[in-house]
Amino acid sequence: MELGKQHLMKFNQRWQLLGYLEVFLYALGVGLFAYFLASNILIALAVFTLALLLLLLIKHPWSHNLNTTSSYIDAHVAEASFSTGLLLQPEESLSNLARLQRYKVSHELKTRLGAINPPNKIKQASAVLVVLVVFGFLLSKLGLFSGVDDVFNSNSNQEHIQFVATDTLAKESVLPKITEQVITVSYPAYTRLGHKTTAEPNVKAVVNSKIDWRLQFDNPVSSVFMERMGESFQLQKVDDGYTIRQSLKESGFYSFKFKNEDGVEFTSDLFSLEAIPDNTPEIEIIGLEQYTYFDFLDTKKIQLQSTITDDYGIDEAYIIATVSKGSGESVKFREEKLNFNEAIQKGKRNLNFTRNIDLDALKMEVGDELYFYIEAYDEKEPKRNVARSETYFAVIKDTVTDQFAVEGTLGVDQMPDYFRSQRQLIIDTEKLIKDKPTISTQEFKSRSNELGFDQKALRLKYGQFMGDESEMAEAPSEIETDKAGEDHDHAEDQENILKEYSHDHDGDNEHNLVPLQESEEAEDPLHDYLHNHDDPEESTLFEESLKTKLRKALSIMWDAELYLRLYEPEKSLPFQYDALKLIQEIKNSARIYVHRIGFDPPPIKEESRLTGSIDAIDNFRKTENLELDQPFASMTKAVSRLEELIQKQDVFLEKDKQIFTAAGNELAILAIENPGKYLGVLQGLKQIENNTGRTISNYKTVQKGLLSALPKTKQIPGARNTYTDEMNSLFLKHLETYD
Amino acid sequence: MINRFSFVHNDVLIPVLIAGLVLFAIFFYKEWVTRNPRNFVLNAVVAFVTIAALVLLVLEPTKEVEVDDQKGLLLTDGFDEQQKDSLVSLNKGIKVLNYDSGKSIRNELDSLTSIYVIGQGIPSYDFSLFNDLSVDYIPKENPSGINRLSYTSHINLGEKVEIVGSYNQPIKGAFLVFEDSGGNGLDSIQFGENGNPDFSLSGSPKTSGTYVYQLTVKDSTGVLLDGNPLPIEIKEKKPLRVLILNNFPTFETKYLKNFLAEEGHEVIVRSQLTKGKFKFEYFNTSSSPVYELTDAVLNQFDLIISDADTYFNFSASLKNRFEKNIRESGLGVFIQPSEFLFNLRESSSYFKFKRDAIDEVQLPNSSNSLEKYPYDFDEQFLVQPILKGDGLTIAAYKQMGLGRVATTTISNSYQLLLNGSDEAYKNRWTQILDAIIKKNNVAVEWKAVSHIPIVDAPFDFNLYTNLNEFSVVNEKGGLVTTVQKPMISNKYSGLIYPKKKGWNILEIESDSTSQFSYYVYDDVNWKSLRTTESIAANQKRFKNTLNKNRTVTNDRPISPISFYILFLIGIGWLWLSPKLITDK
Repeated sequence: MELGKQHLMKFNQRWQLLGYLEVFLYALGVGLFAYFLASNILIALAVFTLALLLLLLIKHPWSHNLNTTSSYIDAHVAEASFSTGLLLQPEESLSNLARLQRYKVSHELKTRLGAINPPNKIKQASAVLVVLVVFGFLLSKLGLFSGVDDVFNSNSNQEHIQFVATDTLAKESVLPKITEQVITVSYPAYTRLGHKTTAEPNVKAVVNSKIDWRLQFDNPVSSVFMERMGESFQLQKVDDGYTIRQSLKESGFYSFKFKNEDGVEFTSDLFSLEAIPDNTPEIEIIGLEQYTYFDFLDTKKIQLQSTITDDYGIDEAYIIATVSKGSGESVKFREEKLNFNEAIQKGKRNLNFTRNIDLDALKMEVGDELYFYIEAYDEKEPKRNVARSETYFAVIKDTVTDQFAVEGTLGVDQMPDYFRSQRQLIIDTEKLIKDKPTISTQEFKSRSNELGFDQKALRLKYGQFMGDESEMAEAPSEIETDKAGEDHDHAEDQENILKEYSHDHDGDNEHNLVPLQESEEAEDPLHDYLHNHDDPEESTLFEESLKTKLRKALSIMWDAELYLRLYEPEKSLPFQYDALKLIQEIKNSARIYVHRIGFDPPPIKEESRLTGSIDAIDNFRKTENLELDQPFASMTKAVSRLEELIQKQDVFLEKDKQIFTAAGNELAILAIENPGKYLGVLQGLKQIENNTGRTISNYKTVQKGLLSALPKTKQIPGARNTYTDEMNSLFLKHLETYD
Repeated sequence: MINRFSFVHNDVLIPVLIAGLVLFAIFFYKEWVTRNPRNFVLNAVVAFVTIAALVLLVLEPTKEVEVDDQKGLLLTDGFDEQQKDSLVSLNKGIKVLNYDSGKSIRNELDSLTSIYVIGQGIPSYDFSLFNDLSVDYIPKENPSGINRLSYTSHINLGEKVEIVGSYNQPIKGAFLVFEDSGGNGLDSIQFGENGNPDFSLSGSPKTSGTYVYQLTVKDSTGVLLDGNPLPIEIKEKKPLRVLILNNFPTFETKYLKNFLAEEGHEVIVRSQLTKGKFKFEYFNTSSSPVYELTDAVLNQFDLIISDADTYFNFSASLKNRFEKNIRESGLGVFIQPSEFLFNLRESSSYFKFKRDAIDEVQLPNSSNSLEKYPYDFDEQFLVQPILKGDGLTIAAYKQMGLGRVATTTISNSYQLLLNGSDEAYKNRWTQILDAIIKKNNVAVEWKAVSHIPIVDAPFDFNLYTNLNEFSVVNEKGGLVTTVQKPMISNKYSGLIYPKKKGWNILEIESDSTSQFSYYVYDDVNWKSLRTTESIAANQKRFKNTLNKNRTVTNDRPISPISFYILFLIGIGWLWLSPKLITDK
């Protein structure tokens, strides 16, 4: 009589089963929904399992036992008369009435239980499932969560270098895939950036970084090469992968190439290598004028403040100070290397320095100049970058000396050695004055006169610069007359003086550099006060003061000579000193009198000169073929061909490949300077070349890139095609007759 | 009233008549067998009439009648629904027709005496349908968008594409962008507050070939609002063969010759050294000295550059030879100026100058100024300026027959190069020389008459050629017929219905150099422009239309009821008559 109980147990099982089913349906709905969103079966499975477990915990369908079943049946089946509990009790423990009831109930349940269903929400669960599926499907169609897909997929596949077969016919062969791709960038030690490991094939790193690529393939491959700017490097097989180490010197592009077991060649996309240059340190000097002037009595100190920055670290910095003493040819330089007050912390990127420069400590005197600049090195290897600041100047003003600052190097001493110099004259004059008491009057006068002549010779010599060359020829004869007797001297001198005052236009005055004569000075007292622009020599440049000085020296010499001739060497001496001083000054700047360098014409054949015979003269012929420089010819062709491929939807021909290869090479030259900008176009070109991107949209991208990379069209004249119309010709012809 | 009969089903006239005759023959035979002399004739007559009625029932005879007042309303693209409703309510019994270029409405029009046309109007190729109809065209408003446009669709590389047009009701702040085939912007304007609808854009293409440039409208954030294709054909100029004749070598010639030679032209320079002795320089060409300037020699060159002293000291016969070549074969001659030129009489120097005492001139579109001779071109009928600067003509040419002679008043243009303005130098000389260079003759010239051809609409073109026997083929090799104009023997016109969007080709058979590319637009391109043009053309066409309503005759089917009754009576009699006989 356990039949009733069996029914109950069956019902209970059904109830539990339905509970599990309900949970399963809910979880399936959620899982499918997740699948639609993420488009990833793994994620969907995970979500499904999670939902299943969660719902099981909430619903716990196993909790339906026979007791709950019987109470449910009691509540819902009237025929059970609230007596199903009897079925659960052992028959023996029941009273007769209870047994009767139990029998009745079990009998009733047999028929009734088939008709009623345990309470369930299957319908509701199914509805939720359908709604979730529909909703998920719509969402996936709308693409609202397409990003989710990328996020989940990226770590598995996206970043890996993709390969395509270069031989398009070999599509069926197995395409080895990269299972692992590690790119390690080892920055130079001095940058303190260490290593960086990435999977991103477009590498950007500091110059001189070492880059390691490590590729691992799922299928055996052979001869893996890296192609980098026209060069091929073979990758080394290490363990089960391939590695290569390259040093980054300059920007460029690279791609990988390998063969699989069948010998089919595969090539990857093009990736960029961008070398970031290590910049030189930047030096900033704060709050200092480029020129600083000190008076002698000032505190001659310069407070130097400077900030030096570098992108990776400063190695060394110091001040180079140069002291210049003297002027003109006697200028002397002394260079000193000064350190900053602060010690340099090597490798710091930003440093502030100060330094007091004491001009006295540098043993600078009045008139001396100090030039200084800061030099800073960074830690770049192998060769450090060096930067120099601007040069700053500090000058101690010299208010005493009046110096000539004539730059130049031609310091030729014009004075012939057989002339007595002014200094010798002074020495001799002083000797004469000293000897005067001991020697005879005759000898005194004679020596004085001789000195006078020497003075004159010297004056004439200097007068030569003023254009008085003609006098030189006469000087020796003068000596003759001088020797004849002193009485004639004056007469002779007077004559000579007149000569001196005359303007000798006939004289050979070609090399007359200073055409002005003393005579003009005498005759034109206003001369010094006028700006005589007609005379180029009189321009108010520094020459003026030189010339005046020379003229002044000459007139002083004249006075000195005069007193010597008058046998009054004592009076002559001050003039001589004055003359010496002036001459010294002039000597220092004498280098402005540059001798002209002559032109030596080839010798003329006198016999054929001016005969008018041109028999020997030939026609001259020259032939030249200039290569027309067309650096972008293939790019132009590629643009034009792409237009055909886009507009006319032409078929890609095998010969087009050459055009695109050549265009890629031309573009690569442009792209070296700016790899990032043209990388997309280059990749597109490569894809067209190796038949992975022969699509209209890629054609368009490449065409756009090429067009923007092409330079402006040159303006070149050229012939145009026209059709000559009979009527137009007639019209033009008649037009002229009515002109 | 013309009582001419015809049938609705004229096409089945013969079979139906034969069927009727056969039927009658069968009946006749049947009557003959059951010969009943009393009724035989009568029955035969009745049978004939009955069968005739049956035949007429099938054939539906019509009668031509005159219609006095039958108005129509033709709806064309973009018509206003309200306008249509009010016209329909005003004119009772108006016949509303829809214009569809794919379907003929000739038959419908035949029944109308006058017609209203609303919307953008009828395409001009269908105007002939309305030749004898009184048409009242009620134009719609011009649509927003580009409604006037002209641009240089055929240029040579190095020249600019110039676009001028007008934009009806522009959106303020929107941009009109001229883009190359890749989509790089070449030029753009922004429509401002003042709402000036006119625009002009320009851009220099970088490569030769046939391209589809775009004229797009973008809003201020760069979102594309509208875009239309601008097909452009860019040809490359051919390298020249240039002869330079100089009395003595000059810097001007040296730099000019370097410029020309570096750009790949064939240049021969002949400068005189002394009497009878020359210096010859050959660039990019084989060396063959040019002593005698015969017709054959002159004909080799596209351009001859000569200094004034050389050119005007030629013997009279040589100068005549030059002039003959200029006039007849279109040779271009550039005369390098010197004081000598300016002091010549006009009759011998081609040009007339007047002294202007200006020594320097500012070049157009450039910061450079150049030395010039103190003379200015005087106005002459055949002299056209090439270059202007500061309001002065600084280079001009004179048309002489087919050729041109040019000169300039600039004295030392190489100063531009020395100043580093290479581009300015090249631009100036390109402008000057391009104006006078001998043109390459081509055998055929094509001109598109329909300027926005679309698929399945007629495309008219003209063809100018001196060829006598030729045939025009399309890209598939199909022959295209052309009609020679009776008065102008070298002008032909043709008409085709393009089947394919994009570039289409016409060419003279067996001469691929004579190719003519024309671009067939999509139906959605240049909508506003086409609508505006259509409205204008319709307004023009129907301005002076026939005011008097025409008389229209119309074939009306005769009511078949009478034939039916006749048939019934006849068949009834034929059924009844044997019965009457047996009753007796």
